[in-house]
Amino acid sequence: MTTALRTSIPAAPRPRRRSGRPRLTAFDAIARALIAIILVAQVYPLAWLFLTSVRTESDFASGDPFALPSSFTLDNYVRAFQQNNLGLNILNSLVVTMGANLLIVLLGMMGAYALQVLGFRFSRLVRGIFMIGIIVPVQIALVPLFINYSRVGLLDTYQSMIIPLAGFALPMSIYLFSSFFEYIPLELYEAASLDGAGPYRIFGQITLPLSVNTIVTVVLVNSIFIWNDFIFANTFVLSDGLKTIPLGLQNYIAAMGKIDWTATFAAVCVTITPLLLVFLVLNRAISYGLSAGATKG
Amino acid sequence: MLPRRSRLSVLVFLVPPLALYAVAVLFPILQSLVLSFFSWDGITDLQFVGLSNYAHMLTGDPVFWRAFLNTLGYLVVCLVLQLGGALLVSALLLTLRRGREVIKTLYLLPAVISTVAIAFLFQRIYSFDPQGLINQLLSWVGLGELARPWLSDVNTVLVAVSAPEGWRFSGLYMLIIYAALLAVPQELEEAARIDGASRWVIFWRIRFPYIRPVWVTTTIMAATYALRGFDIPYLLTNGGPGQASELLTTYMYKTAFTSTNYGYASTMSVFIVVECLVAVGLILLLLRRKADA
Repeated sequence: MTTALRTSIPAAPRPRRRSGRPRLTAFDAIARALIAIILVAQVYPLAWLFLTSVRTESDFASGDPFALPSSFTLDNYVRAFQQNNLGLNILNSLVVTMGANLLIVLLGMMGAYALQVLGFRFSRLVRGIFMIGIIVPVQIALVPLFINYSRVGLLDTYQSMIIPLAGFALPMSIYLFSSFFEYIPLELYEAASLDGAGPYRIFGQITLPLSVNTIVTVVLVNSIFIWNDFIFANTFVLSDGLKTIPLGLQNYIAAMGKIDWTATFAAVCVTITPLLLVFLVLNRAISYGLSAGATKG
Repeated sequence: MLPRRSRLSVLVFLVPPLALYAVAVLFPILQSLVLSFFSWDGITDLQFVGLSNYAHMLTGDPVFWRAFLNTLGYLVVCLVLQLGGALLVSALLLTLRRGREVIKTLYLLPAVISTVAIAFLFQRIYSFDPQGLINQLLSWVGLGELARPWLSDVNTVLVAVSAPEGWRFSGLYMLIIYAALLAVPQELEEAARIDGASRWVIFWRIRFPYIRPVWVTTTIMAATYALRGFDIPYLLTNGGPGQASELLTTYMYKTAFTSTNYGYASTMSVFIVVECLVAVGLILLLLRRKADA
């Protein structure tokens, strides 16, 4: 899909423009101005977040929120790490993100392999059951999971977050892997079969190595949602030692009635930077993953 | 289908994902359905109450209806910002010759930020004292008398808690719609242009009808996401002041985990699911029918 986009971009509008009716340039100017305004509204709040995180407290308190910082300081970052367990929160988020991603990729591939490659009599029904999970809001699972967790002693553990995060992401993962497996030619499987490979070896030696790109896409897209998950963590985690980043950030309010805004913004910047960097570097794969579900379905 | 597969191998691959899905999604859905017919505080015994939770919700609980109307308001704001913004930006992008990729990336940036961070950010943006970004902007353009504490004013709080959600995911839908618009065959537009059609007519009569299937999918995505919206209103105002920004999701959450009324909370979560299904049905009905006409 991405290659198709690329070739069609430069080819499309060019010949029109040259024939130049003046009305078009006025239109272009307005269009450009509009894009600029919308873009500023979209990006400025984030820039402001970073600017505020390097301001001194007095500079921040003294008024004009649009002004450029009159001073530069990294004190806020020092305070951000001192006041709360920011380091521990980041570690917890890493554990949960990796655990959930592992399940999503492994089980998603297995499910898609069973549905798409192996095939069986009720595969359409099973596929339909999985697809329910795309529409159903996560809120319906909160109360039952809370009750079940407290029965089996899973409340306040990493698993209590990983299970629902992976479970609700699984349908999309199965869907993405299935639509990729469609493109693996059957002859490849038949050849391997003739050489005596069974379904397990074919999965390990053909399907898995070919799926690397899809795995990257699935991991990236899910990482955004898991890294940022608030609702499951907020419901199932009680102790400070297990809090992930979104919960840890909340401690900056709870600590004392008065909020240390510049330190809070420094903490926010620390926690969003890794994801932002990954996104900026790999945005093609992420963009593809985010939009694939809609354009194919 | 693989020639040499056994029934066992199908099970080996299918059972683990199905098990996780059952534990995390399927079984809880059924449990919620069952619980919605009971009254339970988590400590004393379950008490079967039949349909009385539903009756109370629909006829005896003004907060529920207030939250329902607020949810519809939240939905409208999200749809306008997300789909309207997405359509506008992707249409404008097509008129650019360079920089499309950069703009797409920048526009999508907020989707990467966690809701807690967004809540912090918007608390400052809406702030009245010290002056936040919006009030400062208003006073610059000479509308200073409109400045207000957006999050504690009963008249503005609902829009104020909805806008960040719209802002956050607009880029996602832009990405989808833009990809669809790019796929519209050039010949169609060329032909219309030669016939003297204006840009406006070309967009609404040729491009838009062509991307209608994608538009339907995007509308469904945006609507179901908005109906389950929770984080930002919960973090910004927790439903207040009063019930001015209470959504069904925040009300259900408080019923479950503050008043520990699990039965009634389950009734509401069943309603949220039904609401999503009805929304999907309505969107398909309305948008598909137009396409046929």
